[in-house]
Amino acid sequence: MKWWRHVVAMELRKILAYRSDFWITFLGQTLIQLLVARALWQMIFDAQGVTEMQGFTLEMMSLYYLIVPIGTRILTGESVGFLAREIYEGTFTRYLLYPLSVFQYKTTTYLTYSMFYAFQLLIIYTLFRIFIAQAAFTFTDFGNLLMGIGLFFLAATTYVMMALLIEMISLWADNVWSLIVMLRFFTSFFGGGLIPLTFLPSWTQAALEWTPFPYLISLPARTIMGLSTLGEMGKGVLILSVWIIVFVEFVKLVWKRGQHKYTSVGI
Amino acid sequence: MIQVKHLRKTFTSHVKEPGLKGSFKSLFSREVRTKDALKSVNLEINPGEIIGLIGANGAGKTTLIKILSGIVHPSSGEATVMGYVPWERSNEYRRQMALIMGQKNQVWWDLPALDSFLLLKEIYQIPQAQYKYNIEFLAETLMIKDQLKTQVRKLSLGERMKVELMAALLHNPKVIFLDEPTIGLDISAQKAVRVFLRQYQTEFKPITILTSHYMEDIKELCPRVVIIKEGQFVYDGSLSNIQSMMGDEKVLSVTTQDKTFKVSIPRHELSSKTHQIFEENDVLDLNIQDPSIEDVIESIMRNGVRPT
Repeated sequence: MKWWRHVVAMELRKILAYRSDFWITFLGQTLIQLLVARALWQMIFDAQGVTEMQGFTLEMMSLYYLIVPIGTRILTGESVGFLAREIYEGTFTRYLLYPLSVFQYKTTTYLTYSMFYAFQLLIIYTLFRIFIAQAAFTFTDFGNLLMGIGLFFLAATTYVMMALLIEMISLWADNVWSLIVMLRFFTSFFGGGLIPLTFLPSWTQAALEWTPFPYLISLPARTIMGLSTLGEMGKGVLILSVWIIVFVEFVKLVWKRGQHKYTSVGI
Repeated sequence: MIQVKHLRKTFTSHVKEPGLKGSFKSLFSREVRTKDALKSVNLEINPGEIIGLIGANGAGKTTLIKILSGIVHPSSGEATVMGYVPWERSNEYRRQMALIMGQKNQVWWDLPALDSFLLLKEIYQIPQAQYKYNIEFLAETLMIKDQLKTQVRKLSLGERMKVELMAALLHNPKVIFLDEPTIGLDISAQKAVRVFLRQYQTEFKPITILTSHYMEDIKELCPRVVIIKEGQFVYDGSLSNIQSMMGDEKVLSVTTQDKTFKVSIPRHELSSKTHQIFEENDVLDLNIQDPSIEDVIESIMRNGVRPT
């Protein structure tokens, strides 16, 4: 068996090692976020006295906020500071000793978490559609769900490269926590994690068009809801793929210089 | 074979004045301090050899080990380990090398050791038969068989160190760097680790560099020692030669009403100095001994090498 399959298996064992944490993440977090968003949007719809805003009804909005929190978890994978924290603490040393690429290893562990959350989305969304929304759940809907999850995975690969790039700055600056938080905020705000992107001014939407942000959360979420065309999906795949190549090259460049700075000091 | 030529490493760090004022000041300007952790050191170690690297805290022992294991890049100089430049970190080199740091965990904290070992088997591409033999051999020699299915974080410090040793040696490395492998262990665990390391050295004959603050580790395992002081080697030779370096001296251990102290005295001054000590102190007990290895090493670390 290839090493990466063992890494995937081992990371899954780590996720499953703590029962309460597993169930809280699996159900609690998703339901709380959904209920809070639903209550807020209900108030906004009521205050405005409308049944539709920027192409979203309240039911569609609920669906969007069911997908987005889990989708954001697929995107952000392992955890904030997954590399910076290890560089800061000196535990990064372990990966330099293994006869394999440290970035392949870290990307594999990161995407394992994404895979776990994708499975979570598959289960929760299917259950929600069938039992709570009591809507017809056709093969087309299931196809949209799988395509959306595929897009979330491509988005997660893009995001991990962006995160690696920023977290490697800790080779120079030790603590880059604020930069990581900024990346999360930008991704959430310009990616459609806080509000659907159709609520942003049109000039902002136009400015974001060639950046990776609209394709990180909004595109996969809209695809799952059946709101994206094949053309939009194709464009998203192309733009994310180009950004992945660009980020990979930058990661290589920064690592080439940054590895000289690593001192392996820490806890 | 390990060859090190004129290896240097300089670290820089920021210095902050204590207190809130210092914290505010450091937001705008910081003093950068440079420290030479290694000052042009040279070293040669032959295949199958085990050497003890001794020095005070901050002398440069761990820095040398980090450079030779490829984790840290040197500031200048050359080093090859079995023909490989360590900091190029070729997979071929890393498959033949192991680093064990007594103060850092390398196995996965949340999982039983056997899960970590399975992953290491794949990473190092260890054949099934060799893996099975090594698990048996290492677990039995280290007497840790029953703990391998327990989460690592729930093991005692000694058990964790044994698990670390197993993880590092599963792939039969030809070069082993041991950085304080017995630190924090109780006496029986220290002894078990020493017995194991001796047995492992006899069976697999790797090149080994061992650093330790416990002289027992060095005395039992290392026929050759290198003493490092402030980034420079001040002694490189056999352990047995060390004692003869102070052959002209005797150590007086004196206990008085208030204190206990040791003094090194040239043999020809023994009579007069002993007399003086009796006159100046209310002596309860006095011992005259040849200097121990610990005394000699301490003296070398403090004063450098003194010819006999």
